[in-house]
Amino acid sequence: MSTTRTPKVSERVAPKPADPQPGKKKRDDDDGPDFRTLLHAWLESHRASMADSLRRLGKQPIGSFFTCLVMAVALSMPMGLSLLLKNVEKLGGSWQRAAQISLYLKLDAGSKEGEALRDEIKRMPGVADALYVSRDQALEEFQQQSGLGEALRELPENPLPGVVVVTPSEVDKPALEALRQRLSELPKVEVAQLDLVWVERLAAILKLGDRFVFGLAVMLISALLLVIGNTIRLHIENRRTEIEVIKLVGGTDSYVRRPFLYMGALYGLGAGFLAWGILAFGLNWLNQAVVGLSGLYGSDFALGGVPASDGLSLLIGAVLLGYIGAWIAVARHLNELAPR
Amino acid sequence: MIRFEQVAKRYPNGHVGLHELSFRARRGEFLFVTGHSGAGKSTLLRLLLAMERPTSGKLLLAGQDLGQISNAQIPFLRRQIGVVFQNHQLLFDRTVFNNIALPLQILGLSKAEITKRVDSALERVSLADKGELFPADLSTGQQQRVGIARAIVHQPALLLADEPTGNLDPRLAAEIMGVFEDINRLGTTVLIASHDLALIARMRHRMLTLQRGRLIGDGEAGQ
Repeated sequence: MSTTRTPKVSERVAPKPADPQPGKKKRDDDDGPDFRTLLHAWLESHRASMADSLRRLGKQPIGSFFTCLVMAVALSMPMGLSLLLKNVEKLGGSWQRAAQISLYLKLDAGSKEGEALRDEIKRMPGVADALYVSRDQALEEFQQQSGLGEALRELPENPLPGVVVVTPSEVDKPALEALRQRLSELPKVEVAQLDLVWVERLAAILKLGDRFVFGLAVMLISALLLVIGNTIRLHIENRRTEIEVIKLVGGTDSYVRRPFLYMGALYGLGAGFLAWGILAFGLNWLNQAVVGLSGLYGSDFALGGVPASDGLSLLIGAVLLGYIGAWIAVARHLNELAPR
Repeated sequence: MIRFEQVAKRYPNGHVGLHELSFRARRGEFLFVTGHSGAGKSTLLRLLLAMERPTSGKLLLAGQDLGQISNAQIPFLRRQIGVVFQNHQLLFDRTVFNNIALPLQILGLSKAEITKRVDSALERVSLADKGELFPADLSTGQQQRVGIARAIVHQPALLLADEPTGNLDPRLAAEIMGVFEDINRLGTTVLIASHDLALIARMRHRMLTLQRGRLIGDGEAGQ
């Protein structure tokens, strides 16, 4: 017969209200389980829940894969757009260089004065570069570009001023305006003109893009929570009898909840890896066309891949979303799981 | 061990499960609750399992007032109770061993301790060689014994059984009752709800008779 000691009836009383979860048969001195026993029980319970969740997901590989895939697509869309925007910002760096200040010199300023002014400007703080275009060069370029070469040659004198084109080192609008003001006060400068249209347009486009990505992310994360919530709800329904039995033999709500939370987190982990793969593949595929296009414009611009930090953030975020989605689903349905 | 003091249970739909029921059961006692369908046997068991709360009166289990117990305390109360169902409530995707191990896993016992206790419980219900089988591989009687093993494996102070022999032939029913008596001899209080009067009469234990939620008899069976 049994080899286990059967405790006396007096030892087997119902727990006091404040009793912690018993991890072991009570000792005769009724101290309750020690911390080590409780910790071991807790860790063992988590290990068993995770192993059980993995086993259940593994038993339905195709269904689990498609759930992860749906989540991965929902995750990769805002993340992919965000990465594209980062690349556009990188590309925009060269556009921002178009935020140049043109200094139109007085007509009596000669080449030597213009070159001296250019050198002086180059030494000024906030200036990345300065280029002097003499009156003769300006006229020559205008003749070539305007198609009015013959007509211009008929003019009694060159009407075009010398120009110093200044490239600022900062593209911040107030800083640019301050620099323009300082440059306009230099001797021999007639007009200082700052063209910010492209900078402002780009900033507006990027801002719009950021908002679009944020809105899309909110919508898709909500959809993702619904997907994971619904998936977990189906798992709960399939295991209703088991849950009822667990509750009847003393399983706490957290014990019942645990395998579903692991399941949600595992779905999230799978979706995170898949989304990372989708993004890496998608950006690489797109990059081939982008490199071809930028080559036509004489640029070496190429799309960057998925940075490791972004990939890890994606994984952690996906696991958290899976966990939260599962938690919401279980919390919502736990009350319905009272034993019948 | 069990104390019902004027316990009444009225369900939200107006049905009255129990009318001011009063009785006591000592530790280590073996008692039957009998009566026709709707007599209140299941309500009584559900109250003891804290699946329902009394509408009025006082219900004490090992000194704990089940009318006042918080939801968070209920799982810990149930760990002191073993329960056997008429339909076994076994998990068919788990082996016999894992079905029986469930209460011990919830307690967080070590694998070695679980193995030791499950083997002992299997031996007690004469299923020592069936641990690796699945419930579907067993006969109805064997499934019921697995249910009993699961109910006793954590050495509960109280064992409740709801029509445990309802689906069994008389020979198997007597065998199952023998298992309950063995468990009771080890000090566990056993309360069985059954309407099998012939079987109860042979057992010669205390019998509570319910009719429409009222206690109409309390004495030794067969007398």
